[in-house]
Amino acid sequence: MYRYDEFDHAFVAGRVAQFRDQVERRLAGEIAEDAFRPLRLMNGVYLQLHAYMLRIAIPYGTLNSRQMRMLAHIARKYDRGYGHFTTRQNIQFNWPRLEDTPDILADLASVEMHSIQTSGNCIRNVTADHFAGAAADEAADPRPYAEILRQWSSVHPEFVFLPRKFKIAVTGADYDRAAIQVHDIGLHLKKNDKGEIGFDVYVGGGQGRTPMVAKKIRDFLPEEDLLSYITAIMRVYNLYGRRDNKFKARIKILVHEMGAERLSAEVEAEFNELKNGELKLPEADVEKIRSYFALPDLPERPEGWANLAAWKKADPEFARWVDQNVKPHKHPDYGMVTISLKPIGGIPGDASDSQMDLIADLAEEYAFDEIRISHEQNVIFPHVALADLEALYRALKPANLSTANNNLITDIIACPGLDYCALANARSIPVAQEISNRFRSHERQAEIGELKIKISGCINACGHHHVGHIGLLGVEKKGAELYQITLGGSADNETSVGEIIGRGFEPEKVTDAVEVVVDTYLGLRLSPQETFLEAYRRVGPQPFKEALYGGASAEAA
Amino acid sequence: MTRIWNEAGFVNDDPWVIETEETKAGNNEKPILPLDAFLEKAKAGESGLGVLIKPADNVKELAPYLDRIALAAVSFPAFSDGRSFSHASILRERLGYQGEIRAVGDVLIDPIPLMLRVGINSFAVTNPVALKRLEEGRLPGIDKHYQPTARPSQNPHSYSWRRVS
Repeated sequence: MYRYDEFDHAFVAGRVAQFRDQVERRLAGEIAEDAFRPLRLMNGVYLQLHAYMLRIAIPYGTLNSRQMRMLAHIARKYDRGYGHFTTRQNIQFNWPRLEDTPDILADLASVEMHSIQTSGNCIRNVTADHFAGAAADEAADPRPYAEILRQWSSVHPEFVFLPRKFKIAVTGADYDRAAIQVHDIGLHLKKNDKGEIGFDVYVGGGQGRTPMVAKKIRDFLPEEDLLSYITAIMRVYNLYGRRDNKFKARIKILVHEMGAERLSAEVEAEFNELKNGELKLPEADVEKIRSYFALPDLPERPEGWANLAAWKKADPEFARWVDQNVKPHKHPDYGMVTISLKPIGGIPGDASDSQMDLIADLAEEYAFDEIRISHEQNVIFPHVALADLEALYRALKPANLSTANNNLITDIIACPGLDYCALANARSIPVAQEISNRFRSHERQAEIGELKIKISGCINACGHHHVGHIGLLGVEKKGAELYQITLGGSADNETSVGEIIGRGFEPEKVTDAVEVVVDTYLGLRLSPQETFLEAYRRVGPQPFKEALYGGASAEAA
Repeated sequence: MTRIWNEAGFVNDDPWVIETEETKAGNNEKPILPLDAFLEKAKAGESGLGVLIKPADNVKELAPYLDRIALAAVSFPAFSDGRSFSHASILRERLGYQGEIRAVGDVLIDPIPLMLRVGINSFAVTNPVALKRLEEGRLPGIDKHYQPTARPSQNPHSYSWRRVS
């Protein structure tokens, strides 16, 4: 993975000193909260319902054991012993004191981490496929490009006061696990016949109150033009994006109002001016960044095949975990392991300090010191020998980290919701917990198969409900919480926004409603191989509406 | 009170005035004109003019008349409105304007280092904390940068996109 050089260290140290000075001025009353707000936000410090919240960047979701141990240390020393991994591959701490935040940033800097631009109207943490560099279906590792974009966007003076936040995601695989079509910019790396790398560029996707699927505005942008072209997009957005209404300020609205063709023409015109300038990427620089992301030297471990078969036979629970949470690696003796942060009845994405420490130890022992955070709020070990799976599983189990539910109905995405968030209208966590408990039986989960439930506590959609196979949106109606159900959303290659199925459900009825939806699916699917999403796309909303509301009208709440 | 600052220090006898209904340029003062008024005078052959670029203006309209500009003011009606960062960048990089670019409006201390990097080189400052910091010579910027910008800066013998100031 990428390692800081002297330049990076000096930059981050400078940033910590700058923020320390800003916090001191704030505490001394020299800066009003109004002016302090964008400064703290650009360093990841939010003011939440009960306390400040600090969001730390995990660039493209990649970290090592030393960094994970530091996150555990921060949880212990400055917070309440846990952290929350987010849908943007970041981690949030919910209880830091403002006066401690400069020290936390200094601790982070010591392990080459920061919280720069994890909030605010600027370019946010660049996210990527969590299986990058290990997946069998990959044309090229997207992380070198994500790293180049991370560097280029850090404190970019022209783009720190954008109309609204700006999110970039990159994938290099055939199958999109990075949800690039619901990002402000999505980049899909491809290789042509000559082995050259280029990017399909998508613009204007997003969730929030106006969910939109991105439009492709460029096929195979040459590698060397990456920064020029992205600068062109940013400049057009900075100048023309709406600033009169924060709910219409994302680039998706500009794309919608201008039309993708006109926007693309503006971008191309700007790009033509920029492309032969200082931003052109020299191949040597790309190569040097790429070398940081080389696949670890993976020894042949063919004994794993026979061992694994024997272990699975001896222990059905282990077999289930392997079948559900281990995916094929590009090296046949290895697997990509998902460590579920979705224990039955737990809080999606939360990890305690001791769990983080254990994950760090195990990554060193079994996973070449490489850890990923997925946007689905799980931890990934991208390179584990099949021969080591049993030992890894045994070590994870006592820490409640061996739940075999990856991609199943209890692998729920949820935002922090009204338990923490100042924006929320409703709670997310208790709903996730209740659904998880209701579907706790592994046999039942296996029978249901792949089903992604995503829960947001408000229309800002941090819990990605629009792209959940089943999405739940918490709204507030007459002072009470109500949950709208959307069906048929998806964030992969065939991205779609879920449809609202009808009026919302009270908190105590929403789990029953989810169960009705699931049972309806089980009753109408053509075979156990037909997934919920496939079945929904075949039959549409009607059978689900009837099951939920009977003959009664089902106008949206 | 508004004071004009540049990297050499405070300017005491600045003649430029942004005209409003109430405020007009007096004797020994010069008006900073709205873009349309500037274009009119420039087309009529006048020079030594001040022009105000508002966020929604198209700065490229200045292209034929750069030699008529004595001062280009870029406006920040709120510190959070970042359009003038792009205006300044385009004025410098694209149009090659060499003269004074002044930030006017809600100019706070923390964005000033960023403004300098996009080529703004003069600042109309009213905010008391900003004035105090500038008097003390304490700018809060970082001298390492991850991107080339309008202000000329050196590559530190590193990746092509990095700069030091």
